[in-house]
Amino acid sequence: MTVRIVTDSTAFLDKETLEKYNIAVVPLYVNFEDEVIPDGSIPNAEFFEKMKRSAKLPFTSQPSPGDFAKVFEKIIEEDNDIVTIVISSGISGTYDSAINAAKAVDAKRIAVVDSILTSAGLARLVVEAAEAAAQGKTKEEIVALVEDKKRRLRIFFVPDTLEYLKKGGRIGGAQALLGTLLKVKPVLYLNNGKVDSYDKVRTMKKALERIVNEVPPTEGPFPVMLVHAEAGPTVETLARMVNERFPEAVITVHELSPVIGTHTGPGVVGICFYAQ
Amino acid sequence: MSGNDNPGLLLGGGDLRAMFLEATEHFEQHKEVINALNVFPVPDGDTGTNMALTLQAASANLMELPSDLPVGEIARIAARNSLMGARGNSGVILSQLLQGIARGLSGKETAGLSELRRAFQYGIVYAYKAVSRPVEGTILTVAREIARGSREAINKSINMAELLDVAIASGKKALERTPDLLPVLKEAGVVDAGGLGLIVFLEGCLKSMSGHRLTGNKREASRGDFDRGKTLEAEGLPKTVNLEDSFDDRYPYCTELIVKGSGLLLRSLREALEDLGVSLLVAGDEEAIKVHIHAANPGRVLETCIGYGTLHNIKIDNMIDQFNNSLWSSNRPQVDEKDAVEARKIVEGLPKKERGVIAVAAGSGFASVFLSMGADKIVLGGQSMNPPVKDIVDAMMEVNAEKIILLPNNSNVQFAAEQAAKLVDKEVYVVDAHSMLQGLASMTALDHRRSLEENFVEMCLRSRQVKTLEVTYATRDAKVSGISVKKGDIIGLAEGSLLFSGLTVEETVLKLLHAVITEDEQIITLFYGEGITEDDAEILAERLKAEFPDLEIELYCGGQPLYYYLIGVE
Repeated sequence: MTVRIVTDSTAFLDKETLEKYNIAVVPLYVNFEDEVIPDGSIPNAEFFEKMKRSAKLPFTSQPSPGDFAKVFEKIIEEDNDIVTIVISSGISGTYDSAINAAKAVDAKRIAVVDSILTSAGLARLVVEAAEAAAQGKTKEEIVALVEDKKRRLRIFFVPDTLEYLKKGGRIGGAQALLGTLLKVKPVLYLNNGKVDSYDKVRTMKKALERIVNEVPPTEGPFPVMLVHAEAGPTVETLARMVNERFPEAVITVHELSPVIGTHTGPGVVGICFYAQ
Repeated sequence: MSGNDNPGLLLGGGDLRAMFLEATEHFEQHKEVINALNVFPVPDGDTGTNMALTLQAASANLMELPSDLPVGEIARIAARNSLMGARGNSGVILSQLLQGIARGLSGKETAGLSELRRAFQYGIVYAYKAVSRPVEGTILTVAREIARGSREAINKSINMAELLDVAIASGKKALERTPDLLPVLKEAGVVDAGGLGLIVFLEGCLKSMSGHRLTGNKREASRGDFDRGKTLEAEGLPKTVNLEDSFDDRYPYCTELIVKGSGLLLRSLREALEDLGVSLLVAGDEEAIKVHIHAANPGRVLETCIGYGTLHNIKIDNMIDQFNNSLWSSNRPQVDEKDAVEARKIVEGLPKKERGVIAVAAGSGFASVFLSMGADKIVLGGQSMNPPVKDIVDAMMEVNAEKIILLPNNSNVQFAAEQAAKLVDKEVYVVDAHSMLQGLASMTALDHRRSLEENFVEMCLRSRQVKTLEVTYATRDAKVSGISVKKGDIIGLAEGSLLFSGLTVEETVLKLLHAVITEDEQIITLFYGEGITEDDAEILAERLKAEFPDLEIELYCGGQPLYYYLIGVE
C-alpha cells in the first residue's frame, strides 16, 4: 500500500513529472461555443489561437464529482490511499467536486486539500507531496506537509489587462483597480486563495521589479517558479532579473494551463516562491 | 527732536491699518513690474500676483475694524488673514513675515521704533523657518538685509518714515546683489521678483506716512512713552538683537483642552478666560467646548475651566521652547469659531476615513484622474493660479480623516501646502510631488492596506520615477540656458528646464520626447490641455506611436489651462 497523489489540470505538470511520480490528473474544462476542451488536451499555442478567433470568450468549468470518483475508485481498487491537492476553492469549485467524490468513494482513504493556489504553486505542492509519498510517508503526514507548505508559497502575477479576470468573474480584490482612469499595470496576488490587488504601476518593467522585490533573500539554492501565458519574451526578462538578483535561485518556467489562461488572458507573467 | 511734535514716533493700530491698506493698494499698482521679473517665461503663478493676492487677503477686513484697536491686534488680524490667503511660495514667505511682525507687536497698544525693529527681527525668523531649504539671493536675503539695515539705523535719532527709508534702501542694496547670489537670476538678467515685492510692500507702507501724521492710535502719545523710548535709545541698544532675549514672554503657554459636560456655558467660559491670555478660542456646544489660549499662567486656565466641566486632551506647550526648537507650528492662529463649528458639523456627517488624500490639480481632466486614483478632494489650482493656503486648509477640513496625504503637484504650491499642513489639527504628510504627472505617479502607490507612513514614503519615491515634460508658450522675451525666447513662442520644458523654443506644438512634443527617452522608458502619458482638440491630440498620438514603436502611448484629456501638453515619461 502506498499513497497516490491526485491533482487537477491547472497544476499543468508535464508528462514526464506525472509519470515519474505516478500522479493522477483530473482536468477542468474550457467551453467554447462549438466544443468543450478538457484543460491541457491541446497545445497552448493552438488553444490561445482558438481563443483569439472565437467571437465569444470561452468559459471554464470544474470537473464533476464523477470525474474525480472515476480516478479515485481506480486507485482505491489498487489498495492505495489518496491525497488530492486541488486549485484554490477561492477561484474554482473543483475542491467541492473532489470532496463530494471522496465522500462517495471512500472518505477514510481519500484526503482532499484546498491548495489555496494554482498553477506553479499547486504544481510545487503536488511534486513535494509525491516525493514524500515516494519516501513512504503516510496520508496524514503528507497532508500535514502540504498544509504547511501551501501557506508559505506566494504567487504574484501581472496580467496585461484586467478584462479577462473581470469577464470570468475572478477579479476579486482587484476590482478596485478597474475604476482608475489612468491606465495601470495591475500587480496581483493570490491572497488566501483569492485574486487580490497588490500594487499598481505604470509600466511592465516596474511591475516586474515589483514582483521580483517580493522574493525573499534565501541562502543556498531555492526554487523560483515563473509562469506565463503567451508572454515568452517578458518571462525571459523576468528570469534574467531574478537570476541577476538571486544567482542561486533555481528558476523554472511554467506555462499556465488554458483554464487559467482563459481567466488571466494572454500576456500574463507571474512568479511563485516560498515566503521564507 | 521735539517730543510729541515728532511725527512717526509711535505707531498705533489705526496707523498700521492705514499702512497695510496703502501698501496693498500700492502693491496692486506695481505687481506687473514684479511679474515681469519671473525668470522663466512660462505662464506660471506669477510672483507679483501671488504677493498682491496675499496682501489683499491680509487687509481684506481691516477697514471694518475700529481704528482704535491696539497695533498688536491689527498686526495679528492682518497676519492671520494673510496666512489663509497666502498664495505661491513668495506669498507664503510674505505672510510668514507678517506673522513674525504680529508676534513682535503682540500685546502692544502702540509701537515705537524699537518695537518695530524687533517685530522685523521676528518677521525674518518666521520667514526663514517657513522655508525648508532657505536659498540666498531670494526674498529671504532681501528681508534679512532690511532687518539689518533697520537695526543699525535705530541707533540714530530718526523718525518712523526715516526708518522705513533706511529699510527700503537696505533692501534695494540687497536686491541688487541677488543676481550675484543666484546664477539663474544673473543669466536671465533680472533681480529676484519676491525681493522686489518686499520692497514694493515697504514703499507702500512708507507712502501711507507721507503727509500723514501718526496718531499713536488716535490717542496722544504720552510723554512717558516718549521718554522711555528716548532713554532706551540713549542707553544704546545692542547692535545685534538676541531673539531669545527679546521674546515677549507674557503669554508663553499655548494651552489647549476640551471641556466636557452638559449644558456648558460657552459664552460665560469665554468671558472667564478672556483676561488670562491672548489668541483665545472657545468653540463648541453644550456638551463639549474646545479651548485654545496663549496664557501667562496655564494653571489658572485649567482652574477656570474645571469650574465648568471635566477636562480632556489637555495640552500645554511653552511656545518659547517651540520657537527655539522650530516647533512653532502648533502655535496655530485663531480659527474663526463660526467657521470651525460649521465645518465640524459638515464633516461629522461624513463617514470617517482612515486617511484623506488631497491633490492640487488644474484642469477637469486631471481632477477626474486624481479622484479615480483615490484622491478624496481636489483643490483647483496649480500652474496658472496658485491656490491660497485657505483653499488647501478647507479641503483638509472637509475630509473626515485625522491623517491627510497632501499632493501640491506644483513647486510653487509647495510652501502653501506646507503652511496649510501647519494650520490644521491633523497629521498631514506633504508628498514631494512638484508636477501633476509626479502626483499621478505617486498616486499609483496609494494602497489602503499599507500604513499611512508606508504610503507616504512610497508615494514620495514614485513621484520621482516620472519625467515631466511641458509644452506651453512664452509669456515674455527671455534668454534661458542659452535659448532665446520671444514672447508668444511655443516652448518646451523637460523637468523644469527650457529646451526648445519657436517650434510648433507637435514638433516641440517630439523633440522633447527624443531628448529625454532612454531605453528605460516604456510609457508616454500625454495630457492635452485647453486649446487642443481631441482630434489634434489623437493625430499627435498616432505620430508618436510611429516614432516610438516600442513604447506605449497613452492619451488623456487633462483640460489644463495654458499648457498645450503635459507629458509624463516613465
